[in-house]
Amino acid sequence: MDKKSNKFKTAVFTIISLYLVIIIFPFIWVLAASFKPTQEIFGEGAFNLMSANPTIENYVNVIQNGILQAMMNSFIVAGLTAVYVVLVATLAAYAITRFKFRGKNLLLGIILAVSMFPQMIIVGPIYNLFMNLNLTNSYFVVLPYSTITLPVAVFILVTHFNKIPIALEEAATIDGATSLQILSKIVFRLAAPGIFTTAIIVFIAAWNEFLLTVTLNTNKAYHTVPVAISFLRTQFTILWGDVTAATVIVTIPTLIVVLLFQKQIVAGLTSGAVKE
Amino acid sequence: MKRMGFKELLFILPAIILIAFFSLWPIYKVINYSVFDYQLNDQQKSKLSMEEKFNVDLFMENSDYVIMFIDMNRFSFPEDVQDKVDEVINNVNSFKELLSDKSGFIVLSGDLKKQVRNDYNKLISDTDYFINNYDFPDKENLILVMEDTKKCFVQSNFIGLKGYVNALADERVRDAMGHTIVFTVVTVALELLFGLGLAIIMNKAMKGQGLVRAVSLIPWAIPTTVAALMWSYLYDGSSGIVAYIMQNLHLVNDSRDLLLSGGGAMASAMIADIWKTTPYMALLILAGFQTIPGAVYESAKVDGSGVFNTFFKITLPLLKPSILVALLMRTLDAFRVFDLIYVLTGGGPGGSTETMSVYAYKTMFQQTNFGYGSVVVILMVVSVAIIAAFFIKILGANVMERD
Repeated sequence: MDKKSNKFKTAVFTIISLYLVIIIFPFIWVLAASFKPTQEIFGEGAFNLMSANPTIENYVNVIQNGILQAMMNSFIVAGLTAVYVVLVATLAAYAITRFKFRGKNLLLGIILAVSMFPQMIIVGPIYNLFMNLNLTNSYFVVLPYSTITLPVAVFILVTHFNKIPIALEEAATIDGATSLQILSKIVFRLAAPGIFTTAIIVFIAAWNEFLLTVTLNTNKAYHTVPVAISFLRTQFTILWGDVTAATVIVTIPTLIVVLLFQKQIVAGLTSGAVKE
Repeated sequence: MKRMGFKELLFILPAIILIAFFSLWPIYKVINYSVFDYQLNDQQKSKLSMEEKFNVDLFMENSDYVIMFIDMNRFSFPEDVQDKVDEVINNVNSFKELLSDKSGFIVLSGDLKKQVRNDYNKLISDTDYFINNYDFPDKENLILVMEDTKKCFVQSNFIGLKGYVNALADERVRDAMGHTIVFTVVTVALELLFGLGLAIIMNKAMKGQGLVRAVSLIPWAIPTTVAALMWSYLYDGSSGIVAYIMQNLHLVNDSRDLLLSGGGAMASAMIADIWKTTPYMALLILAGFQTIPGAVYESAKVDGSGVFNTFFKITLPLLKPSILVALLMRTLDAFRVFDLIYVLTGGGPGGSTETMSVYAYKTMFQQTNFGYGSVVVILMVVSVAIIAAFFIKILGANVMERD
């Protein structure tokens, strides 16, 4: 029996290790390659992990090419989206879980349907709208971001609000508190972890958005990370040195967010997907 | 629960406004675009118009040239048609007079429509008379100006369902649909299989769950374009390590086949997607595992249920709802795949990895054909709706009511 369980443990350990290696390997390889001079990326040294003559030239190149500006834009865009979408979604989710109104199921149905639509459907009309209103090449791109983020945010928050006992609020109502007071003094505090989780999920979704920014913000000054990165590929020759250095730089913020908030992220991802 | 009054309505108003403006209105517009031959860079088709229109500005410009070419060449014509020359110039001038208070594109109707048609036909027959019967220095120029003048009548570009008929016969749409379906079925099936396997193992492994979970989140959390670019380096024919390994393992004949052959490029895109999404799938299913109370397993053990029996008779049925929801979300995501393929292969080589999203995007933003691009998008939406309906049907319970 002991032997069997030992064997089993070894198998589990092997599979998990193999899995971790497969996930991490591309990052390690790209990290190593980012310190190689050009001749080592293309020539003899292409398949050596470590560089013979490590250099930071690639990093200098991509920073001069404005990768930090792209990261700044991503921060602004993702931050703005997280703030206003979470605010709007919190109010909506509160109303959905606490008030009786006609058309509630219709509203939920529309939100669900919107979350399932291919994003491609809104790009054409939004492009025309932004051209007519002269809003292209600006941070107004965060407004159509609501299409991809608002449904998710509402669903996560509805799940969270449903877990908060309504009795507390009823007691507050009897004591004469208004809806807004109840929301800010009781629900917000109790739901803070859920709201924070939602904000992180929305932030990551907005940080990673590509389609809307690549069509609406063609000016390099407004490129976000995913768009700036994609333009490294479409150049006449592909400078793998720049590509690997840029990949390393832009992965760092994501890495930090994931390491700091992994519990909240998993909670957010699964609260939408797991029936409890 | 409270009934909703005006104050309470304010809670959902912002969400409704955002959804109406940035989701519902665009969907309405796309349906609208799809029944027009709507092309941004073609002056005749760059607006949606139900009626025939007349381009007054273009007419004014061209009529001046008509007068100029006829008047300047008047001595090339014989003596007995000099009166005719004056008459034609007068006709053109009175035509211009008719439209003197108009500008831009106007809808013609009633008497004005009759008169414009009448004057226009006269103009054609007059100029044709000179062009067909005489030689004069500006003959070629007059012909060109008249060609251009014909464009003053802008026909309605309403085409009804013709775009859909064309799309159904379009081989590129069929290919794109095929690629999309193959990509979706293969990636989702493998992601589910690997995800389930990993979730079972992660559930058993007690130590290091935090580490495994953090590592699993990274591929999901990085932007798809970053992952695509990273993989395009690993796949590169001359310096990519993955291509090199695959060649040495004889999985491919030549490392360059990976991105430069149709099958290779599709397989590469699938591998990159599986790498990026399997961990996410595993986490979703793992969360499902953790909602199954341990007592269920204990009582199964007491009843003498074996490992396999327990898995198939207890674990899987209890996991079914979370697996189905994860499957639905993944299927829809894979079906609308864009970033990954657009950056990794651009739909190539030779359109062999072009999915519906990529085709729709190229039609709209590279060929600026918004009408046909919208048709492709709507075909995609219909497919998505069918997939969603299918899943919701087998889910049994309503996904909407999560509470």
